[in-house]
Amino acid sequence: MEQKPKPYMNPYLAGFLLGLVLLAAIFITGRGLGASGAVKSVVIETIGSISPKYANNHPFYASFFAEGDGRPMKNWLVYLTLGVLGGAFFSGFMSGRAGISIDKGPQISNYVRLGFAVAGGFLFGIGSQFGRGCTSGAALSGMANLSAAGFITMMAIFGTGYIVAYFFRKLWIQ
Amino acid sequence: MGPLIPQGFVNPDLNLFFAFVIGLGFGYVLEQAGFSTSRKLAGVFYGYDFVVLRVFFTAAITAALGLLLFSYIGWIDYSMIYINPTFLWSAIVGGAIMGVGFILGGFCPGTSLVAAVIGKVDAMLFIIGMMIGIFVFGQFYDTFEPLYMGSDLGGIFVYDSLGMSRDWFVFFLVVIALAAFIITRKIEDKVNGLKSEAGLFHPSYTAPFALMFGLAILILILPESPKAKWYEANAQSLLEEAAAGKQYIEAEEVTYKLLHQREMDLLLVDVRPEADFLRFNLPGSVNVPLDRILDKSSKKILSGSDNRIVFYSFGSTAADQAWLLTRRSGIKNSYVLKDGLNGLFASVFQYESDSLVNNEMSQFRDRFFVKAGEIFEQGGAIIKTSGKPSPVRTLVDIQPPVAGKGGC
Repeated sequence: MEQKPKPYMNPYLAGFLLGLVLLAAIFITGRGLGASGAVKSVVIETIGSISPKYANNHPFYASFFAEGDGRPMKNWLVYLTLGVLGGAFFSGFMSGRAGISIDKGPQISNYVRLGFAVAGGFLFGIGSQFGRGCTSGAALSGMANLSAAGFITMMAIFGTGYIVAYFFRKLWIQ
Repeated sequence: MGPLIPQGFVNPDLNLFFAFVIGLGFGYVLEQAGFSTSRKLAGVFYGYDFVVLRVFFTAAITAALGLLLFSYIGWIDYSMIYINPTFLWSAIVGGAIMGVGFILGGFCPGTSLVAAVIGKVDAMLFIIGMMIGIFVFGQFYDTFEPLYMGSDLGGIFVYDSLGMSRDWFVFFLVVIALAAFIITRKIEDKVNGLKSEAGLFHPSYTAPFALMFGLAILILILPESPKAKWYEANAQSLLEEAAAGKQYIEAEEVTYKLLHQREMDLLLVDVRPEADFLRFNLPGSVNVPLDRILDKSSKKILSGSDNRIVFYSFGSTAADQAWLLTRRSGIKNSYVLKDGLNGLFASVFQYESDSLVNNEMSQFRDRFFVKAGEIFEQGGAIIKTSGKPSPVRTLVDIQPPVAGKGGC
């Protein structure tokens, strides 16, 4: 089974194809892509199933129960994300890249990497709420339809990334 | 023709199916591009791998150019696309938090899903962290709300904010992207200790780069909007329809449907000003004042209707105008209440039996109008039609509450 993984796709070709997927999404639904929305649905659905009363009276959660026939999980982004998982698994499996592993910089241990992964996810969880979407929903889709929000979010993400990259360089490089 | 679902071209039940199919493509491409490894993603910040910038910029430009070309050909109605609202400081703060998250976590939400499903443990933990983050945001929502909901600039376009024309903005965007592709390649080679090729870029990229640049120029040359859109009705045929009075629906039919709600297959649209509508309206009707008839939100209501649309005003002038304007902009299946509300009431309350004709038909007609008159007089149309007083619906109520939601 030890197989050398296939090389990655040419980035410009991948970008072009991703652009077509995005274009198709906008053409069919009038909206772009997204990823953090589905994670939010899972969180809110969980809260709702533990304490429906709490969730329905909460100013932030309540509106999500009003949509999708009262089920936060029955929404567009959730099904999109199920597709993402399927498509990514197919791609990874066919290219010999599927398998349990951890990617990290050369200087840190697995535990450090995993700790920072949780921390990064935590910040993305909060940031994607303020940004009304993440890198794909707010920045990428927003840039495609030329919205001001898309460009502002994109510049804020990558601008801040470059500013703080130096301080965390040990996580990723020699 | 597009966007398909908001305009009602595709059954909304298929919506979720399309979501899944689009997701398959999204996930496949992200994984193929190498976005399933955090090391590759983080490379964009340290100069050893700019794959993120290449894919991201190419995708955004492809979609943006595609949308403009679709809009030019008339395949897509740009005004129906959802433009995420700009809450200025919320977007900046959110982006900054995500920027730090990107460096620490090495993923963004989409890429973490792609990586987790092929077994990357760091991505799985990233997703758990994200869930905690969203939960914490919800718990402290009261504290965050002023920032989250503040400085709402609405769904604005970046080129308007910059005071540029759309076409020039897109042109510069493409130029900046091409420059970034060339420069980052040099940086990447230097960081990785590779020898850069002599020219600006590898010759194999000449064709795609030239195509991108060519399309940007094409956008500049093409006029901002197409002369005729495929979905717009032809002026001549509209004129003929209007001249023949084909747009009118008889007061009798509307009265009948109002009294027999089960057979109601009309969307009654009141085009009078809101004040008039609030004073009185037909049960179940929607208020779309004439001066807002071409607004995006109005278009959504009208194009999303499976029922026949009936415009009404006091007389029929305003309703006629609404009919013409909306028919011209592609709304089919719309009619005008003949002689308006005044005509409707006249026919019901001042009904006079035609004494010269007396047959079964006319007797039936007599009975109907007398009955309708009685019911209307008691205010019974409302009770009769829906079992409870019909809620007054105005445009404001019907607007989808999208503004405050995250799209991602």
